[in-house]
Amino acid sequence: MASAARPARSLAAQERRFALALLAPALAVLLLTTTAPLVYLGWTSLMRLDLAMPYLSGFAGLDNYVKMGSDPRFWNSLALTGIYTASTVVLQVVIGLTLALLVLQIPRGQALLRIAAILPIVLAPVVVGLFWRTLVLAPDFGLVDLVTRSLGLGSHNWLGDPQLALISVIAIHTWQWTPFAFLVLLASLATLPPDVYEAARLDRASAWQRFVHITLPLLRPAIVMVVILRMMTALSAFAAIFAATGGGPGSATEILNLYAYRTSFTELNLGYGSSLAVVLLAITLAISFVMFRLRRAR
Amino acid sequence: MPRTLWRRLALAAVAGVGVAVWVFPVLWGLLTSFKTERDVLAYPPVWLFKPTLDNYREVIFGASSIVPNLWSSFVLATATTLLTMLIAVPAAYALGRLRFPAKRMSGFYVLVTQMLPPVGLIIPYYLVLQKLGALDTYGGLTVIYLTFALPFAIWLMVTYFEDIPLEMEEAALLDRAGRLRTLWYVILPQVRGGIAVTTIFVFLNAWNEFMFAVVLGGNRVRPVTVAMFNFISVEQTQWAKVAAGAMLAMLPVIIIGLFAQRHIVKGLTVGAVKGGGRR
Amino acid sequence: MKGSVRLEGVVKRHGATTVLHGVDLDIEPGEFFVLLGPSGSGKTTTLRILAGLEEVSGGRVLMDGADVTAQEPGERDVAMVFQSYALYPHMTVAQNIAFPLKMVGTDPAATQQAVADAAGKVGIGHLLERRPGQLSGGQQQRVALARAIVRQPRLFLLDEPLSNLDAKLRLETRLELHALQRALGATAVYVTHDQEEAMTLADRIAVFMEGRIVQVGTPREVFSRPATVEVAGFIGTPPMNLLPARWEGSRLLIGSEAIAAPSATNAPREVTVGVRPGDLRLASAGIDARIERIEDLGDTCITSFAVGGRLLKQKSDRLPQAREGDAVRLAFAPEAAHVFDRATGARL
Repeated sequence: MASAARPARSLAAQERRFALALLAPALAVLLLTTTAPLVYLGWTSLMRLDLAMPYLSGFAGLDNYVKMGSDPRFWNSLALTGIYTASTVVLQVVIGLTLALLVLQIPRGQALLRIAAILPIVLAPVVVGLFWRTLVLAPDFGLVDLVTRSLGLGSHNWLGDPQLALISVIAIHTWQWTPFAFLVLLASLATLPPDVYEAARLDRASAWQRFVHITLPLLRPAIVMVVILRMMTALSAFAAIFAATGGGPGSATEILNLYAYRTSFTELNLGYGSSLAVVLLAITLAISFVMFRLRRAR
Repeated sequence: MPRTLWRRLALAAVAGVGVAVWVFPVLWGLLTSFKTERDVLAYPPVWLFKPTLDNYREVIFGASSIVPNLWSSFVLATATTLLTMLIAVPAAYALGRLRFPAKRMSGFYVLVTQMLPPVGLIIPYYLVLQKLGALDTYGGLTVIYLTFALPFAIWLMVTYFEDIPLEMEEAALLDRAGRLRTLWYVILPQVRGGIAVTTIFVFLNAWNEFMFAVVLGGNRVRPVTVAMFNFISVEQTQWAKVAAGAMLAMLPVIIIGLFAQRHIVKGLTVGAVKGGGRR
Repeated sequence: MKGSVRLEGVVKRHGATTVLHGVDLDIEPGEFFVLLGPSGSGKTTTLRILAGLEEVSGGRVLMDGADVTAQEPGERDVAMVFQSYALYPHMTVAQNIAFPLKMVGTDPAATQQAVADAAGKVGIGHLLERRPGQLSGGQQQRVALARAIVRQPRLFLLDEPLSNLDAKLRLETRLELHALQRALGATAVYVTHDQEEAMTLADRIAVFMEGRIVQVGTPREVFSRPATVEVAGFIGTPPMNLLPARWEGSRLLIGSEAIAAPSATNAPREVTVGVRPGDLRLASAGIDARIERIEDLGDTCITSFAVGGRLLKQKSDRLPQAREGDAVRLAFAPEAAHVFDRATGARL
């Protein structure tokens, strides 16, 4: 019956052609703007490419990568990236979940809180960074200093002191993105079936037991999703830190993103900057791969 | 029942603190934008002051006006949004509803491109645009903006396409509509809401973009996110001007955000829901 | 008269699994033809192949003598009512019904007239400006019907169109559907897993089992002479009682009990004997049984009996003169016995 099978297959072929025609522009653009640049990036990471010393340009093999091994600033940035990502993600999830659990019990006014929570999310990170740098964290008349001074804790150079600066940029990120965790978890909490809780009450589970044995397991997919997304955002964080501290003082808040940027566009060493970018990409993709695998394996 | 009363008060207090922490910095900025530079520096802070519009006058009409930058942001964001939607909607339809080989692969590819951190890509963009003479052009930056706008828009639209009942295309095909007219007359009208939400998000993200703009832009293409630094220099920061400028830069996104607030959660979680390869 | 359908050796595979193992079927013009079978038996796939929504892996589809196997859904001049109705939610009822006409460029005046006619036939003329979301399930179902009849196709395909209606509405709509098909005179192919629906609607039924058609016939034929033991067990409420037995000469041995067979056999063989619940009766002699449960449904009464390790059901219009737990004897008339080969399941 080959004669019948052939035209019948063309029916599916027609759908296939239509699909590919619709998809082709998007794939072409993405190939051109993401994949091709990646290949180019890989190539430049093997070059000596210093705009400050263009006469030295040339193929360098793995020199850039070798250099990283003995570059304390690189290891510092890597450690800071870890601290920054881990602490912001944990803070966001913990605060967001706590707040969501509390707010769920408020009979009215949830809408107001939801609207308030959207505010930080829609703002440009660079504007947020600037805002904090000037109006919130500036010594003497910034909002935070006003509070600490009135509480008798004194004035601090929140972005000038290396340790405080790191805490400050973590706080900024947490401020801007906790609403995200809050909103998503609040939405998921609202979809949990109430009869399960009623059953648990009849089974004499205490509030804490209900949280541990019912809420957390049911909420787990949402929490995992929030963690993944927040990690992605934290790993590509740039503008807020750039605006608030520029990576400083010194390299106190110089996470890998900022180090790669500064190397490339402040020190104009594009070759080394490229190799740092490659490492950054590799780490990000590896982490997202692991996270998605964990999620699927669940 | 005093216990429930206490409980309610405590909960209200927590909610109040939440609102305050998120809203107050912005309100504080709004307040500051109406202060003179001298009032800004006063300690203790002055709550009652004579509001002035000087800061706004300065950032709108003054020498360092940010109006051209607002325009720049608007042009960039609009061009990015139009181009993105034009490419993303058909692609999302294919990924969401049609059968073709390598569908999973294509979807996964789009997802991976969404996860690339922008700092990782900016060096090749800089080098290529420089070679093409496209630094500081709207064309160049718009194409670059597609890199983050397109994957996002595709995945968000896919979720809307997937919400449509499966038999829609079949009914339309039996009604002699053909593929293209099925998409146009039957499917697209059903995702109008999704298109609106996606458009808003893409616009928002493009409006808020900073890093590509600061590196790949210049004097001609200088969106407001970059121009915010006009008021900050090593020797002197013009606090009230920063506040006024920031208010102007924030205004569109806040309005849009409030407008689309019910859809924000869906937009923010896009990719992760389907991205785990559930289908 | 147009509207004849013919399937020749239609095979459908999904990867390694075969959904249809060579289906042959002839449907006469104007016939109300029902594809009946349990879920997963291939009846819906067959319908979708007729619609052109599903391609065949082998075989041919002919309509009015022409090979349409390669034609797209829109080219086949067939209309379909989906189980979910698949109404276009963003269009009004009138626009929904007009859509198949608009797609072939029918002029607006003629379209309007046709829409009004079609809507009138299914009694939704007053709903034309509503949207599907504002209609009840029954009304939506009528819109789907109107959208199908407005184009006067040679063939109507209906995929369990009544399954989303509540029981009472289902019975009413069933009658109307039958009357509508008769009035239009068009061929209808109707998929259902509800044998009662099939019995009342069909001119002829094709019974599907595991990707094959096991019997084609009028409802009466299928009910009174099921071709296989599966068909026998599928049709009738409650379904036919099936008992293992041995057929020797003109006797059926069920356990130790000998019962007269409908005919004689030359060689003794292992068989399955089927008896409709309505044909079973309490008697002074017969198969030993114990009453497990008596379900009084008002107009009828279903009695369950334990026989050996099996459960037999009897349907009667009277309450039995015995109580649950009583030991009784069951008998049936020789002509009420359906005898099937034990190994193949085929009717003997």
